[in-house]
Amino acid sequence: MGDAVTGTAGPILTIDRIGVRFGDFQALAEMSISVTDRTIHSVIGPNGAGKTTLFNAVTGVRPPNSGVVTFAGQVITRASVHARVHAGMARSFQVTNIYPNLTVFENVRLALQARHRRESRVFWRSPSARRDLKQETEQTLATVGIVDRLGMRAGDLSHGAQRSLEIGLALAAKPSLICLDEPLAGMSIDDVHRTKELILGLKQRMAVLLIEHNMSVVLSISDRVTVMAQGRLIAEDTPDRIRTNEAVRTAYLGSQA
Amino acid sequence: MSEIRFPDVATLLVVTVVAIMPVLMPMTLATSIVIFATATLSVTLLLGSAGLLSFGQGLYLGIGSYTTGILLRDHGFGLMPTLVIATLAGALSAGILALLIVRRRGIYFVMLTLAFAQMGYFAVLAAKDVTGGENGLTGLPRSFAVGGMTIASPLSFYLLTAVGFLLAFLLVQRLNASPFGSVLISIRENESRSEAMGYDVKMFKVAVIAVAGGIAAFSGALHAVFLGFVPPSDIELEISQRILVMAIIGGVGSPAGAIAGSIFYIVVSEALSELWARWMALIALALIAIVLFLPGGLWSVGQRIAMARKGRSSGG
Repeated sequence: MGDAVTGTAGPILTIDRIGVRFGDFQALAEMSISVTDRTIHSVIGPNGAGKTTLFNAVTGVRPPNSGVVTFAGQVITRASVHARVHAGMARSFQVTNIYPNLTVFENVRLALQARHRRESRVFWRSPSARRDLKQETEQTLATVGIVDRLGMRAGDLSHGAQRSLEIGLALAAKPSLICLDEPLAGMSIDDVHRTKELILGLKQRMAVLLIEHNMSVVLSISDRVTVMAQGRLIAEDTPDRIRTNEAVRTAYLGSQA
Repeated sequence: MSEIRFPDVATLLVVTVVAIMPVLMPMTLATSIVIFATATLSVTLLLGSAGLLSFGQGLYLGIGSYTTGILLRDHGFGLMPTLVIATLAGALSAGILALLIVRRRGIYFVMLTLAFAQMGYFAVLAAKDVTGGENGLTGLPRSFAVGGMTIASPLSFYLLTAVGFLLAFLLVQRLNASPFGSVLISIRENESRSEAMGYDVKMFKVAVIAVAGGIAAFSGALHAVFLGFVPPSDIELEISQRILVMAIIGGVGSPAGAIAGSIFYIVVSEALSELWARWMALIALALIAIVLFLPGGLWSVGQRIAMARKGRSSGG
């Protein structure tokens, strides 16, 4: 299901001049991004630039007031959050959004089960009857490096491990596009390195749309970088050229870059 | 939280309790208990599994009662077809109303359940020709033939309602321990996450509300059959309230809480009403005490003992 789109180098996601308005406040204006399949496309910008608003518009949490979002050849501007997941789009959240009272295993199993629509309607037998899902759950947990903690209550995991679980939940959907909202926020140095490698590895299988404040990671792993400020796009280029872009320097990087 | 098993110790305990109840108390009291335990199951399923608080399950109980009264008395239906149709009527009406209600969350959801329940009551009063208005429906048959057996004695009524309760109880247990149930639990735990994972949260809510509506209507059908008439109180707001109180006193963490709450409420009210006309005040006190000091309800006492024993045996 997630592999419905196979590796052409065309755009998998096209955001065409979308705008999001909260009352009188224009949070996002005339925003356009085109994400190429099997690339890492990062979105950077100062706090309040509208990055998470952009994510919410793309993933359907808060559909845009204007503009068009096209994903895998289909217009999904108004599609529901869950319909987008089945079309192959998954996301992680800036603020960890897991099931703290359920086990780590159950968190990921639920995410996998969601992909198998029929399975989630089964009411006459136990979930454990599906051994294949159990295996896949363990594999996913191994990918994000927390398989040793599968029996723990998710809320008892360390912050870094919760962030890893957050990514695992998105990966379990076997997406063709994964939207990661500040996956490295609050991670320890070791976790940052491991997660960076993990994200880099993802582009073998899917497109990655990444919001991240860790600039050295963004500039080292991204294929394209979009820079936002005050709800608008101010630059889009390769990491190397973004580094030297004047508009970006003034708006965001300041003197530190 | 480990995987929910089915059947478990609770299954065995509940079957045992249902088997010995008629020995310990008058048959009519035991019958009331299992009927209201069935009604309470609908609240337990909604609140305990999916985290949905319904203040209006009495509406579906009433729909079950009135459907039963009308089919048995005016259309000469047999007992079994009547029970099936009444259950389906409750599930269908709950499912249809749910399509409207699930658009709202939290307190607005609760208010909508309340408003629909109130509307149902006044609709029954207004449609006097069909429902008998304030008099209800009287003159239902007092004996039934089911597969060669006659249901007329108090014991046979108890057997009918007890089997009905056990079926509903096993259904809820089975649901909870299934992939479908795991989605309900995920919705209770973190609704927006479930949506972001790809679950159509609204449709899962509609499904569970329909099932709960069916269970409530089934209990209403049994109530009408047991009483031999349909009292308008079966669709009054007070009945919604009563089964909600039973659910909370018994505990919504397990479907077994439904029978614990029903036994407590009915036995205590039976004992107290002889002594004091304002016995409801004492039920209210019990409710306050449980909400404050035992949020898991009466059934959680048993669970705690089991956990403690398990902890000791695995620890030593």
